[in-house]
Amino acid sequence: MASTTTISSLNLFLRWWRNFRVKEMELSFTQGRWNYERWGGFDTMSSNNAKPPGVELWAVFDVPKEQVDASWKNLTHTLSGIFCASINFLESSSMYSAPDWSFRQASGSLRYGMLPREAVCTENLTPWLKLLPCRDKAGISSLMDRPSIYTSLYYSQRLHLTSIASDLEGLNSGIVLEQTLTVVLHPSSQRTGLTHFSQSYLQPSWSLSSIFGRKVNGRCVLAKSSKVYLQLERGLVSQLKKSENYGADYIASEGYDGEANFELSVNPDRVLKEEHSRNGISSSLLYEFSVDKYSNSKPFDLGLTWKFPVIWSCQQAPLHASRFLMGSGNERGAIAILLKSTDLNDSSLVANSAMDGCELRVNIFQVVPWYIRVYYHSLQLFVDDQLKAVGAFVEKIHVMPSKDKISPGMMEMVLKLPCGVKSVALTLDFDKGFLHIDEYPPDANQGFDIPSAAIGFP
Amino acid sequence: MSIFLLLFIDIATAYSSHSSSADTAKHTNNWAVLVCTSRFWFNYRHMANTLSLYRTVKRLGIPDERIILMLADDMACNARNKYPAQVFNNENHRLNLYGDNVEVDYRGYEVTVENFLRVLTGRHETAVPRSKRLLSDEGSHILLYMTGHGGDEFLKFQDSEELQSHDLADAVKQMKEKRRFKELLIMVDTCQAATLFNQLHSPGVLAIGSSMKGENSYSHHLDSDVGVSVVDRFTFYTLAFFERLNMYANASLSSLFTSYDPKTMMSTAYYRTDLYQRRLDEVPVTNFFGSVMETIHTDSAYRATPRKMSNRAGISMAVEKTAQDDDRRTLIDSDVQDPTSHTMTKDQNCPFTRTMNTFFEKVERIEHPDSLVNYGLVLMLPLLMVSVWLSS
Repeated sequence: MASTTTISSLNLFLRWWRNFRVKEMELSFTQGRWNYERWGGFDTMSSNNAKPPGVELWAVFDVPKEQVDASWKNLTHTLSGIFCASINFLESSSMYSAPDWSFRQASGSLRYGMLPREAVCTENLTPWLKLLPCRDKAGISSLMDRPSIYTSLYYSQRLHLTSIASDLEGLNSGIVLEQTLTVVLHPSSQRTGLTHFSQSYLQPSWSLSSIFGRKVNGRCVLAKSSKVYLQLERGLVSQLKKSENYGADYIASEGYDGEANFELSVNPDRVLKEEHSRNGISSSLLYEFSVDKYSNSKPFDLGLTWKFPVIWSCQQAPLHASRFLMGSGNERGAIAILLKSTDLNDSSLVANSAMDGCELRVNIFQVVPWYIRVYYHSLQLFVDDQLKAVGAFVEKIHVMPSKDKISPGMMEMVLKLPCGVKSVALTLDFDKGFLHIDEYPPDANQGFDIPSAAIGFP
Repeated sequence: MSIFLLLFIDIATAYSSHSSSADTAKHTNNWAVLVCTSRFWFNYRHMANTLSLYRTVKRLGIPDERIILMLADDMACNARNKYPAQVFNNENHRLNLYGDNVEVDYRGYEVTVENFLRVLTGRHETAVPRSKRLLSDEGSHILLYMTGHGGDEFLKFQDSEELQSHDLADAVKQMKEKRRFKELLIMVDTCQAATLFNQLHSPGVLAIGSSMKGENSYSHHLDSDVGVSVVDRFTFYTLAFFERLNMYANASLSSLFTSYDPKTMMSTAYYRTDLYQRRLDEVPVTNFFGSVMETIHTDSAYRATPRKMSNRAGISMAVEKTAQDDDRRTLIDSDVQDPTSHTMTKDQNCPFTRTMNTFFEKVERIEHPDSLVNYGLVLMLPLLMVSVWLSS
């Protein structure tokens, strides 16, 4: 579920902009982990909305380089006041880093910080909703019933701000505020017991009221448009087509609408089809529903009922990434990042990987707190379980060792891998730093959280 | 030399009248600082206690921006909470304390003794936003509610720190001296809560604790769905008292204090009133738990005030400044000053301000203040020479 708002006159944010001179900023609050195997890892939905657990904040500043740190400090405090979270912990230099190129091209004015164990709850959502013109009183956001949202498997709220300066005097300047809320919910029918057949899952029937316990009573009057989209992914469409034509002669079905397989409780206003459909591959379908014409007496309650059981799983990213710790004891250990190729059923990717000279690029960005003293010279690379020279696969690498109690360690690298690769593992040795009693968190019994690594396939 | 003499005499008179002038400020606003100091799931009840009080003071009229809420852990979205984003203080689950509009100002690791004392004394880093500050003044009534695990003269924060009774008394004294409150009600629900008040000695402070020295404070009941105790006895009976009230109720503090029954509470509620001047049966509970203001009727919304009067209200702590310097400052101050507040701030100035005011009055009587200052500067020269001669 995503809603986008463009506001150029929100007083609060204009005042902000003047104070902090932030060119671009993103703040996300996330609870739970994105399940790449089940919810996909290759489509725009997952690649844009999967965020690391806890709080992630990055900002690009439009100030001289020596003032960036001071601006960052003020920004963290202000955000912490607005969003009722401990974002101000990111102010200390040991908590944030300044990635050069792997994260985003920003030439020294970017700061990036993460709080992996920050709680995310109602008090963070409420200020976020208050930025919407109708809060949670009308429109799609009236679905935001806190108890049902926070029962979700994954919850991520995101705030993205970009300032636009169209001319030199800054007369026509404005701010684009984009708010995204991603929630993965399990329809109540599925809660009773998960049915799955070897990595594929039985698709559940659902409706908005069964998921959220609420219905949409018309649009927010201040909104220009208020729309709900339902997307059937490419893989699902082609599977449905196959099952539909099972036993009959294959007819190139131009006007496929899926109606034979499932039933929608509301008729869509438009059906959009993905443009770039290649030969033999189905394109994804997008059903558009406009909330404008619904009212209190006739609320909008979209539902989807499958006519017969459909088993399907999402398209996977080419590599499945995981990170884990090795070793035991309180002195030293090693951190490993493992990339495993997923079994590709999708014909398009198999065809690609079979080609010679095909290369797969992988971006890795990792920040490690100072008390995990990583020895970057001990970087080892295993390709298909065999130790390889690092230089053979690393295209570009940038390492910033940590300074005790001053700055965290940071590693950015670009790997260039042959497409047929089965698995790649990176290992780095580290020593556990000695902490003063005051530096332990009050719940040190839980251990320490290392911020998530970001792995991307450009 | 006559001016200096005048100055010294005035300081002496100002000090003698100090004790009466500090208490005459009018009650103009209400603040609440609500603190839950316990971490971990099994201390669910402490967070429920604090949230119940939060709900009560909000219901009785204190707005969110005047409530500082400190919660040491996240119970509402805790993985062990069967009811996500909900907190209950009763097993009937009729009331979700964690409604849609909770504003938590300090949470998790931020709830430390340091931050707590910073909030009370108002000594923050410059970047700290206004929503996390206690911006009270000499007309404020503050409710300070704390709950957690305590002992003889201490209250535990987060399983790693302690707030001692001396720390609390020092902070309150600082607040008094900085005129951050008119009256302060400290309410503590911990074991041996009464001991936390032992060191308090600032006037205008009223304290109430759930138990005497050597006594434990007990939880009220267990919710078998949530799996832990959901409320403490002292807070439970406090809430029972307030649930019967609305914003316009006239119940007095003494009726609240007498409502605690040691038998049902299994501990003896203790109240310390020796620092408090007013009679408890004359003070409505809404003086602390609500935000009920006396309405002052004025004929016109913006009453023009003479410049000199507002000057006096605006000046603060201006001993070492010269007269010219002060003129410039009061210009700025009189812009900020709310014309209606002038009547109440008239007679609550500190001794230094009073001294300066009488000094100014005397200066104004003389026709040429500039020549007077010059004359004073010339007088300074021989003094300087004498001091140089003495030191060499």
